[in-house]
Amino acid sequence: MPDDDRVDRKKPLVTVIPFGQTPVIAAKVIAAHISGYLNMDAETLPSMPIPPDALDGERLQYNAARIIETLEAADMTNAFKIVALFDVDLFIPLFTHVFGEARQNGRVAAISLYRLSIHADGSCPPSDRILERAAKIALHEMGHLLNLLHCADPLCLMNFSDTVDNLDQTPFNFCRYCRRSLHRALASP
Amino acid sequence: MQIMIVDDERIIRESFFHWFQKSGHTVETAASGAEALDKLTQAPFDLLFVDIKMPGMDGIELLAAVKERYPETLVVIITAYGSIESAVNAMKIGATDYLVKPFKPDQLSLVMEKVAQHQKRSSEYNYLKGRLEKITRFDNIIGQSAAMTAVFEMIAEVADSDASVLLAGETGTGKELIARAIHAKSPRANLPFIAINCGAIPDTLLESELFGHQKGAYTGATHDRKGFLEVVGGGTLFLDEVGEISPKMQVDLLRVLEDKTVTRVGSRRPVSVDFRLVTATSRDLDAQIDAGHFREDFYYRINVIQIDIPPLRQRKADIQLLADHFLKKLCHETTKRVDRISPRALQLLEAYDWPGNVRELENAIERAMVLSKSRMLDEADFAFLQPPGKAAAHGPALRDMEKHHILDILDQYGWNITQAAKALGINRVTLHKKIRRYQLKAGSRDNQ
Ligand SMILES: [Zn+2]
Ligand SMILES: [Zn+2]
Repeated sequence: MPDDDRVDRKKPLVTVIPFGQTPVIAAKVIAAHISGYLNMDAETLPSMPIPPDALDGERLQYNAARIIETLEAADMTNAFKIVALFDVDLFIPLFTHVFGEARQNGRVAAISLYRLSIHADGSCPPSDRILERAAKIALHEMGHLLNLLHCADPLCLMNFSDTVDNLDQTPFNFCRYCRRSLHRALASP
Repeated sequence: MQIMIVDDERIIRESFFHWFQKSGHTVETAASGAEALDKLTQAPFDLLFVDIKMPGMDGIELLAAVKERYPETLVVIITAYGSIESAVNAMKIGATDYLVKPFKPDQLSLVMEKVAQHQKRSSEYNYLKGRLEKITRFDNIIGQSAAMTAVFEMIAEVADSDASVLLAGETGTGKELIARAIHAKSPRANLPFIAINCGAIPDTLLESELFGHQKGAYTGATHDRKGFLEVVGGGTLFLDEVGEISPKMQVDLLRVLEDKTVTRVGSRRPVSVDFRLVTATSRDLDAQIDAGHFREDFYYRINVIQIDIPPLRQRKADIQLLADHFLKKLCHETTKRVDRISPRALQLLEAYDWPGNVRELENAIERAMVLSKSRMLDEADFAFLQPPGKAAAHGPALRDMEKHHILDILDQYGWNITQAAKALGINRVTLHKKIRRYQLKAGSRDNQ
């Protein structure tokens, strides 16, 4: 059976975990996009409590860098990569807030729905729009976990989106260049 | 881009590091001003992010030290306390921008965009400048004559204003130097100075050089390109030989001067521009207007203030000064040692008419120096100059001028062939040949 080898070699597994009150549907949508666009296996786990030391008492926001450090140290499951999903406001010390955060070539990405749930004008978008944005952020952060850099092409998911408007204008698409880098990264995980 | 983050807080250094790493930049970090300066001696950096509050050397002190030693390196100041005063202070010392911690991600993107644009602009500017410097020559303006003192006073007077200046003077009088002096003394001194010789560039090329073009505007236009009117970015634009500009270009430029906008060739979108215009002409523009070659409305636009540059023959008091200056300069450029010009040679230089003005004087000194074997330039070294009074008033042919000149020298040396040949800078055989060719005889002048 010439195909046995390939069947035996499992696709790398990505684990998506909702934290706190984050709706499980969001985790499911993200998992579906990861397996669809990146051709990886993706699973979702039930909700987990937010690591208590992630809350910054002064800013009343959650420190994304600390969350990532905690989860990297936790030696969770057999996951190749972990996407942690939050509905609280995340920040890193430099910025007022972040939509998502991942270390270049790291193992854990943190994503927040908090700022994705508000239009630039303050009104609330329909929930499918929020899920779409979350999926885009997740694919972008997965790109970083797979060692991709920001991309200058505004029609590529690896372009750095600093506003929800920018994010909405970015299609579900990796440019040719980034797609090639993804293939290379996935060929030798 | 090579970026360095200077902050005493580890967590800030790390956040920056990760962010810039993700954007494909080369990032270094330093925990103190001293460490930053140390790293700067080891490698060049394009951009520094510097925290104001640090123990030891603070961010402002580091900024000042960096600007002094590495003026090309851009510095963005970071402050956690929202102290606008210190940020403004930093901008005065030369910071490119400042950010108040924590900032929105789009603020950082904006800063990076600004930096990238700045880099692009300065490289574009250097490219264009390099191209122009090949055409133009640099020097200082030199003069102590009354005529030049009046010009210097005019320069000082007009420099501060934004008014268009027209420099009128013969070829070789140093109009570009005057234009540079106006720029250097003006509030725009730190911005670009761009000089274009309109007479040296074909009309179609001049249009695209000045206005820029869109990709595909014509064959060979493979990229969008900014024209000098845009690139000059607040500086001074110097158009030499403005009398050579075609009537169509005069209309286009007139529009630019009125609207302060530019539309690239092949584009419809006007871009706003800012510059101070200095023009120069060696032609009589009034006569050009009468002849219908130059538009009167354009003339009044560019001639708000006119400075007349005197020809060298009207400022003979400057000749010695200029000659010494060129002598020193050329000695510096070549290995040749020539210390001075003899009084007799100077007399000859002062008697000469200098139709080519300062430029001709410089060429004459250079030519004399190259041929001279002594450390003093003497009369004979300038034998190639047309004798005074025999200047090209009636436009005699070159051969006639040479004939007269040789005859003069022969008469002067009482037909001593050896001495005359030496004075002419040619050997005796050549002189004999020339005597034969021109059928020269002692006293033959009377028969002319
Ligand atoms: Zn990113
Ligand atoms: Zn891309």
